[in-house]
Amino acid sequence: MRGKGTPVVEREPQHRRALGLGLTAATAVVLCAGYLTAPREHAPLPAVARYALVTALPDWKLLEPVNEVVYGSRGFDTFGETFLLLAAVVSVIVLTRPREARAGYFGEHTAGEREQREIDPQQPPNSEEREAREADEHEQEEHEGRRRRLDDDPDQERLGRHDPERAESLTVVTRTAIRLAAPVLAVTGFYLVAWGYSPGGGFPGGAVMLGVLLLAYAGFGRRRIAKVAKPKLLETTELAGALLIIATELFGLLLKGSFSANWLPLTAPGTIRSGGVVQLFSVGELIEVGTGLAIVVFAVLGVRQDWARHDDEGDDGDEGHDGERSP
Amino acid sequence: MIVANYLTSAAVFCLGLYTLLTRRNMIKMVMGLSLMEGSTYLLFVSLAYRARSTAPVLLGPPHGQSPNQLAHGDAADPVLQNFCLTAIVIGVAVTAVFLAVVVRIAQHYRTLDSDDVREMRG
Repeated sequence: MRGKGTPVVEREPQHRRALGLGLTAATAVVLCAGYLTAPREHAPLPAVARYALVTALPDWKLLEPVNEVVYGSRGFDTFGETFLLLAAVVSVIVLTRPREARAGYFGEHTAGEREQREIDPQQPPNSEEREAREADEHEQEEHEGRRRRLDDDPDQERLGRHDPERAESLTVVTRTAIRLAAPVLAVTGFYLVAWGYSPGGGFPGGAVMLGVLLLAYAGFGRRRIAKVAKPKLLETTELAGALLIIATELFGLLLKGSFSANWLPLTAPGTIRSGGVVQLFSVGELIEVGTGLAIVVFAVLGVRQDWARHDDEGDDGDEGHDGERSP
Repeated sequence: MIVANYLTSAAVFCLGLYTLLTRRNMIKMVMGLSLMEGSTYLLFVSLAYRARSTAPVLLGPPHGQSPNQLAHGDAADPVLQNFCLTAIVIGVAVTAVFLAVVVRIAQHYRTLDSDDVREMRG
């Protein structure tokens, strides 16, 4: 028993505090010395910024120089950045996917799966096998059906149930607010991209779309969102966005002789298509960023399977490794 | 007075660096990295600022200025604002990958303490 007056201070383990402090102090000195010589608020704009401001309107018919820099002057960098995001999404998918055999050749563990499931794959299933299979499927459907009835619609849940409420959906007030706010946010996201006046176009648009999805997730729970945000659908859409970006840039190379050159007819500034190829790139970026971030967030949220080492067979998963440390 | 922004950015960066160097909890290490990323956003936006300038939008320039006049000094630097957008996207991607790695390490070794993960020592 602790004394009443003594505060409980849990000391967090730290290491090499002196070394860390020294290195941080050295970095601080270098950074401060560098930053003090950086351009101040009265410095003239650098040449590259003036170039962007001067070319945005006459050359690209864009009123938004930041957008011109993102998809025009620095289009190649944005292209690389998009594929860095794609690489990150792929890494997260690989890291978070359920456990599978890590040793041996790929596919070895699934090679004889069908044969093992059936008594004799050559023979049509006999009545006994068919009966067992039907019962099995029926049982599974019933189980899933019961779960769906309870969890699908949080509005129908009985109040005051004995079992602990799962953190799946918020109160009816929040859900109503989300129902009202989400469409407005979604339209805002599309507007940001369609009219091309937002800095960055597809980037903030994609982030807003992710916000819509996360709002819905917070309000209604994973199971209801999973019907719309299916991993396969999201992954296919993301790759379609990447393909759109590649095609947009490559057409510039083929038709105009330079990567990310404008090959679409430009309209007057302030109209929806005024940016030409910039708008197309921006739409690709919206798809890429929105779905990519959604995949990443749901992949990290949905990590369930465990890679804890197990010796032979036996999916012991979470059990049996408490307190164990590798040598 | 924009120097204050620069120095704040340096301070936030150093805070992140110190967290990264001395903490053993891997979630806190990722938080330290996020602090370091955040300091670059502040730095880019501060570097883009010009005294009495407008946002780099060429629609309706103030006081009868033409868009061309804006380009000659009275607008914030659009290139650095673009760098900031780039940094945000890359920061999110990197943080997501690190968090996924941390979740896997935590599941595999049942600890968030980086010192306990001895197999990761080079």
